[in-house]
Amino acid sequence: MEQLGWGAVAGLAAALPVGVLMATQHMVTAFPGWLAFAAYALVIGVALGAVARGTRQGLAMTASAGVLLGALGWLAFSLTLEPLLHGVLPTWSAVAAAKTYPELVGNVLHGAITGLLLHFVVGVWTMKERVRRAPSERTKIVVVGGGFAGVAAAQRFERLVLRGAKLDVTLVSDSNFLLFTPMLAEVASGALEPAHISAPIRSAAAHTTFLYGRVDRVDSVVREVVLESGEVLGYDHLVLAVGSVPHTFGLPGIAEHSFPLKNLADAVALRNHVLRLLEAADRETDPRTRRELLTFVVAGAGFAGTETIAELFDLVHGVSHYYPGIAPEEPRFVLVHAGDRILPELGPELAAYSMERLAARGIEHRLKLRVTEAAEDLVRLENDELIATRTFVWTAGNKPASLVGALTTDTALRAEGMDNVWAVGDCARIPVVDGGFHPPTAQHALRQGKAVADNIAAVVAGRTPVEFRFHTIGVLVALGHRTAAAEIRGRRFAGLVAWLLWRGIYLSKLPGVEKRLRVLFDWTLDLVFPRDIVVTSATPRKSKVRAR
Amino acid sequence: MTDVMKARDAAISGALAGLAGGAAFGATMAIQGQLATVASIVHTDNVVAGLAVHMVIATVLGAGFGLLVSRQRARAGETVFWGLIYGAFWWFLGPQTLLPLFLGQPVAWDLTSAQTLLPSLMGHLLYGAVTGIAFVVLQQDTDPLWQRPSRSSILRGLIAGLVLGLLLGLPWEGLLAGAGYALIASPESTGPALVRGTVYGFAWWVFAALTVEPLLFNVTLDWSQKAAAADAHLMPAYVLLGAGIAVLYTWLGLLSTVLFTDDIRLVRTEAAGKRGLRALGYGALAGIAGGLVFTVVMAAVGEFPLVAQMIGSHSAVAGFVVHMVIAQILGISYAVLFRRRSFDLTSGIGWGLSYGFFWWTLGDLTLLPLFTGTPVDWSAAGIAAGFPSLVGHLAYGAALGAVYHRLERRANPWWQTRSKAVAERTVARRDQIRGAAPAMWVFTVLIALIIPMLVAGAP
Repeated sequence: MEQLGWGAVAGLAAALPVGVLMATQHMVTAFPGWLAFAAYALVIGVALGAVARGTRQGLAMTASAGVLLGALGWLAFSLTLEPLLHGVLPTWSAVAAAKTYPELVGNVLHGAITGLLLHFVVGVWTMKERVRRAPSERTKIVVVGGGFAGVAAAQRFERLVLRGAKLDVTLVSDSNFLLFTPMLAEVASGALEPAHISAPIRSAAAHTTFLYGRVDRVDSVVREVVLESGEVLGYDHLVLAVGSVPHTFGLPGIAEHSFPLKNLADAVALRNHVLRLLEAADRETDPRTRRELLTFVVAGAGFAGTETIAELFDLVHGVSHYYPGIAPEEPRFVLVHAGDRILPELGPELAAYSMERLAARGIEHRLKLRVTEAAEDLVRLENDELIATRTFVWTAGNKPASLVGALTTDTALRAEGMDNVWAVGDCARIPVVDGGFHPPTAQHALRQGKAVADNIAAVVAGRTPVEFRFHTIGVLVALGHRTAAAEIRGRRFAGLVAWLLWRGIYLSKLPGVEKRLRVLFDWTLDLVFPRDIVVTSATPRKSKVRAR
Repeated sequence: MTDVMKARDAAISGALAGLAGGAAFGATMAIQGQLATVASIVHTDNVVAGLAVHMVIATVLGAGFGLLVSRQRARAGETVFWGLIYGAFWWFLGPQTLLPLFLGQPVAWDLTSAQTLLPSLMGHLLYGAVTGIAFVVLQQDTDPLWQRPSRSSILRGLIAGLVLGLLLGLPWEGLLAGAGYALIASPESTGPALVRGTVYGFAWWVFAALTVEPLLFNVTLDWSQKAAAADAHLMPAYVLLGAGIAVLYTWLGLLSTVLFTDDIRLVRTEAAGKRGLRALGYGALAGIAGGLVFTVVMAAVGEFPLVAQMIGSHSAVAGFVVHMVIAQILGISYAVLFRRRSFDLTSGIGWGLSYGFFWWTLGDLTLLPLFTGTPVDWSAAGIAAGFPSLVGHLAYGAALGAVYHRLERRANPWWQTRSKAVAERTVARRDQIRGAAPAMWVFTVLIALIIPMLVAGAP
């Protein structure tokens, strides 16, 4: 604002010599002419002040900008505005330009002098300003977690910084990519390449400081985050978006002998393991061992579990033509679930439909039963049924990966019991305004990330944060080959339509055009080429395959 | 030309450079017998006195130039452009304003006087260019940004010059201009190179068509308005030659980098990626904004039917549609050429203005007649007739550049960086743009506005 004022002063001051010159040359005679010239000089000065704002640009730059503005001012005023004021349409013709040529010379000189004056005025002014005003402190914000919520918050912060918020944002994550979890099951089945469903955080949040590391502890009293490397990050506001980890309830053998499916490494390990089992089963003669090798058990029939069993089915049968030693009816798939129906997030009709589709393929299910124990080659259920298997996938329990114990927030996403700590995503229990808690899904995490960034910016700016309100738009579950079930804004879809919806919606939600194209290519190639059976890791993660 | 350059050193180097520029300017004045005019400042008509006065003024102005550009961190080739704009400005201030005032006469601000002062403008441009070059030569030892052009870059320039020269019927001039371009080229992307080439081409018009050729073939030097008007038809040709050489030179450089460079660090700094796609959309949007601004001029001048002829129609509506489509395509091309090259509103408008002027030369003066089946008229009269369109093109460019900058700033602030290394690169690029580009923008606009008026017949 001040600079605009200086610009106006410079513009008017520069108008003085030029005006005197014009007066002595009888170019401007009448009073309105003077007023118009003064107004012109004011506009040019203010414009130059705005253009040169905050930049310590050299004299040449400011003066030449003045010349440029003068020339443009001639176009705008002498060639356009003046005819209009006289009630004539501007023609911009060479003849009209020739008539107003003297004004061009005057404007160019005026512009240059304005630039010259402004440069020195601003030079003095900024020097004073620098003395007067200490460099403004940026509020330090640390975001822990590189999932949907954390990255969404970082992206929102970037936008806010662009709008002038004085924030310095650091994102700490133990993976340097944002994993698109809805497609994880497809990576486990080899339909998609692992890197194609993950976007580097450094590219997704390009203007945020990224720190690759694991947080050891948070000290909310002295406001510090301590990394495992020993590095200490001070913060003014902390956003915890650490997500969730598998929870095995302390049941014997499960942590050791089950495959989780939370991250990219889990998915790749599961795929390699299944392919290795198929390789072994192709030559195995002992029927008991064959049964172990070719039985696949998934515990938990939420989205993850249901999609995993369907994808495993597709993988095994999709590559079975490579393994002549395995009969088509031999592989066995079992879905174990503690509830009385699968997919509790879905309505009962769609859940029934899903179960029917899975059952029609021969996928078995055990409802109202828990897995109580797992060993290297078997799984024990609540009713003491023993399932001989070497592939046991655990999706039946998650717990918040909290650094500071159980995290409950208020409706504005502030963590309870800690100052300046905010929590979003799967790691936080966030109350819904009208009762209950927000479910731990990606669509909620994304919105929470955005909301927490807005709220922190509001608090920093001295405003009150707003409550987080969001209702699930829809849920989609893929049921394997060309089949899915979906419920979007209360409308239900099933079969091929739902499957197309699933693919279309999730494709559009993938982070970045590049990844979208890559996944699209993967899917398209999948139409023509068989699934890949390359085992990409050298040694099994666990010795599930062994010679007897 | 670095920050550490002392004002005293800059002033001394500038004064020496001004001496060189003054000598060149003085020589042309001597040939044209104009030194007596300068001598009138000291109330004599002695030629030697005139030369002495002239040289003193040239030296003082040179010192001023040195002070002016010392803070500018301009690359060697770019100081020439600052010299050109400096010379052009002093033409307004000197012979048109201060000289008449000294002599107790009215200022020569009217067009007729300006037209008689055209030789002086050419002389001032020569002075500025020579001063700029001499300043660079004097700073050579201390300038870290100076790079001797390699043999391959000269070869590139020759090839580019030959191709464009053959295309425009100026093969020898093209060859020389191409080799010369290698000297002032700076490692930059196509868009800025195009603007640099446009100014370079105009300078070549003055140098080759108006100066060297008359000197060689007629052993005279005539910078008068009449002679310039007679050679005006070569101005668009030289502008296109310069711009074409710059673009081809840059592309040949890219091609050779892609094919023959094995060091990835030199090949690519940033992939286009998703932001590139988005940039194209922004370009189209900005093109629409610019096209709408241009529409005002088009409607006032009634040029839509002419544009409609491109698709064989005569209706104004068809003309408007064609106009908007072209505006969008050019907007997209602007996004391709000038993506991440504007760091504030001024630079956005500056690039846009220069790009608008280029398209006036290529589009309005050249392609539009070709597409509509009317003869290409590059004569002084034709250029003057295209003046309204020039105003429209400049307005289009300004709006395009401004809107594009706003859109880019909203989503992809390349100047906002994450790390120190990137910040340093960004600052370097901003300094590079600031180094020369403002001179080129201003010079483009100035020549775009005054040359058509000056070379056209009496008002």
